[in-house]
Amino acid sequence: MPAIKKLWYVTAKDLLIVAKDRGAWMTLLVTPLVVIVVVSFALSPIYKGGSLHATMLVTNHDAGSLGKQLTDALAASPNITIQPASDRESQTLKQSGSSSGLSLVIPKNFSARVQAGERVQLQVYEDPNSTTSAPFLKGMIDGAVNRFSAVEVAAKVAVAEAVEQNRQADASAVASQASAAASAQMQNQPIQTREQPAGGVKTLNTFDIETPGFAVMFLLFGVMIGAEGLLEERDKGTMGRLMVAPVSRASILGGKLFAQFIVSVIQITLLFAVGHFAFSMDTGSSLAGLALMLVATAFTATSFGLLLAALTKTRRQASSIGILAILLMSALGGSWWPLDIVPSFMRKLGHLSMNAWALDGIKGIIIQGQGLADILPQAAVLFAYGSVCFLIGLKMFKVRAA
Amino acid sequence: MSIVQADSLVKKYGGIAAVDGVSFSIEKGQIFGLLGPNGAGKTTTISILSTFLEPTGGEAAVDGLSVRRQAGKVREIIGFVPQEIALYPTLTALQNLKFYGKMYGLGGALLDERCRDVLELVELWERRHDNIEKFSGGMKRRINLGAGLLHGPRFLLLDEPTVGVDPQSREHIFDTIFKIRDNGATILYTSHYMEEVELLCDHIAIMDRGKVIASGTLKELLKMLGEGGVIELEVAPPGCPAGLKEKIQGQQEVTATRSEDNKLFVSSSNSARSLPPVLKVLEQSGCQISSLELYAPSLEKLFIQLTGKELRE
Repeated sequence: MPAIKKLWYVTAKDLLIVAKDRGAWMTLLVTPLVVIVVVSFALSPIYKGGSLHATMLVTNHDAGSLGKQLTDALAASPNITIQPASDRESQTLKQSGSSSGLSLVIPKNFSARVQAGERVQLQVYEDPNSTTSAPFLKGMIDGAVNRFSAVEVAAKVAVAEAVEQNRQADASAVASQASAAASAQMQNQPIQTREQPAGGVKTLNTFDIETPGFAVMFLLFGVMIGAEGLLEERDKGTMGRLMVAPVSRASILGGKLFAQFIVSVIQITLLFAVGHFAFSMDTGSSLAGLALMLVATAFTATSFGLLLAALTKTRRQASSIGILAILLMSALGGSWWPLDIVPSFMRKLGHLSMNAWALDGIKGIIIQGQGLADILPQAAVLFAYGSVCFLIGLKMFKVRAA
Repeated sequence: MSIVQADSLVKKYGGIAAVDGVSFSIEKGQIFGLLGPNGAGKTTTISILSTFLEPTGGEAAVDGLSVRRQAGKVREIIGFVPQEIALYPTLTALQNLKFYGKMYGLGGALLDERCRDVLELVELWERRHDNIEKFSGGMKRRINLGAGLLHGPRFLLLDEPTVGVDPQSREHIFDTIFKIRDNGATILYTSHYMEEVELLCDHIAIMDRGKVIASGTLKELLKMLGEGGVIELEVAPPGCPAGLKEKIQGQQEVTATRSEDNKLFVSSSNSARSLPPVLKVLEQSGCQISSLELYAPSLEKLFIQLTGKELRE
């Protein structure tokens, strides 16, 4: 019992030190929150939670009505702003300091040539580096052009039919009426699609995706600071002083690790709580499952911190090796982007990091609506992962500086 | 009655011996000084006695308890004040002391009482609620010392406790050490400041390169130089002619002679009286004297005599 009591005294002392350290809370909570908020808002258009909006430059050389109709059809989309532009501006995608991912040039006599049945080419300039707005705008143009083509084809068929049946009919007038009628029919969109979320897959809030990833990454940064603290305690003599007091090595190290574990649980819980209450992040339907995943993640992160302290000799080493390891694990393990988008071998490689297992379980609950039983395998892997790190770290950590 | 016994202690790192066959005993109630330059092996010796390091060879016991086999029991009766300021800077003086007190099994009213006693002893009771990081170097040293006293240790190990402190704080620390001794504790004090050891210690062991090269009371050690002082002569040609040392040794009041390169050290119980006959012997032997120095005995001079180098090198 005295050993447990002394372990707790070490824990209480470390918690008091962390509680009084404003800089530590900045790193543990404020910095992650700022990053999560910025990234979530910035990436919201990519996910369903937000809508992409883009500007298209349009140069219209057509004197007829079809060029204007095409431009109006594009402008009708709430997600596009049409900016009239010169040839030069369309070619360079730049206008008055702003830039666009794509531009459209409607040639001279566009209306007349379309109505005459000629094949007409529209010139499109696109930014090859744009992965979001250019394909989006190109899709919008393709849609509008296809509608126009369908209208014109329908009109021509109607004219041919009318002229065939009434040889005295004015072909030009019939063509114009047919075109207008077809166009009106197209406005009504006789064939439509209806979108609906697939069964069990809910609409995502960007915070559902970004909060877990960055929370796990900053949890690791938190334990890296803890590892530095462990080395500092050794180097500054406080650990040596404890080692010659009637207190066991297990109580000293156990107390320090337990404090780090408590800090980690508080940190990740607060990050999720702010995500949930301030930004409507979903926490899923299994609070028990989520709690288990957070505890397992905090345990594994704490063990990683001990291993880091054991494998390094100085605070500087712990910091540089720690940053490298954490960034690598975060990139591979899906803290920055979903692992669904990476190649299969990278996904397998990513599961060497604790981040991937933690995020599989956490996202399973908050995104896929899984329950406690579903995430038990991920939690078990995390506990096993943490236990291995813990045992190696405990064995290798030297309480005496070399 | 000795409370500490060290026998042929050895501590090796790889093939290098930091402590090489150190033996000494400390009597109960003594302030025992370990004097030597940095790297002499003082901290390693004190680390073995405090159970922080296990010796590679030899044995040491505190109050009859082996530091190897009964380390746990030894830890209960010793107090250790390391060279570093082993305190938590963002905690207050009282929080630091309470934490260390709990590590020694103190609690409740007894812990409060001991913290108050210690803070009053080091004269920092008024500053008990201030964070350590706000203290001066001397004040930190005093709290560092106090943290080792909370459980009333029978044997206190102080490793260079005055490094980097101002003279006023040093006086404070000395006063505290005398009070601790007067309360019945035995103290092992390491330092590379000979004046501190001369002032504080009842018994002194001088260490160099991992060995104890001289040991005794201050008086006994100074006697090795000659109570009356030392005559240091630089002579030419280098080295002494055969029989010269014996001739000088036979002169009035001369207690010892030693030569090193072109230097000759003559210890005497009365240097002023010994000087004329010594100079006469040298003249008769055909030695020319290029310099001559007379000095009173001190640990610094003894160290130079024993090792050929300055204590602070």
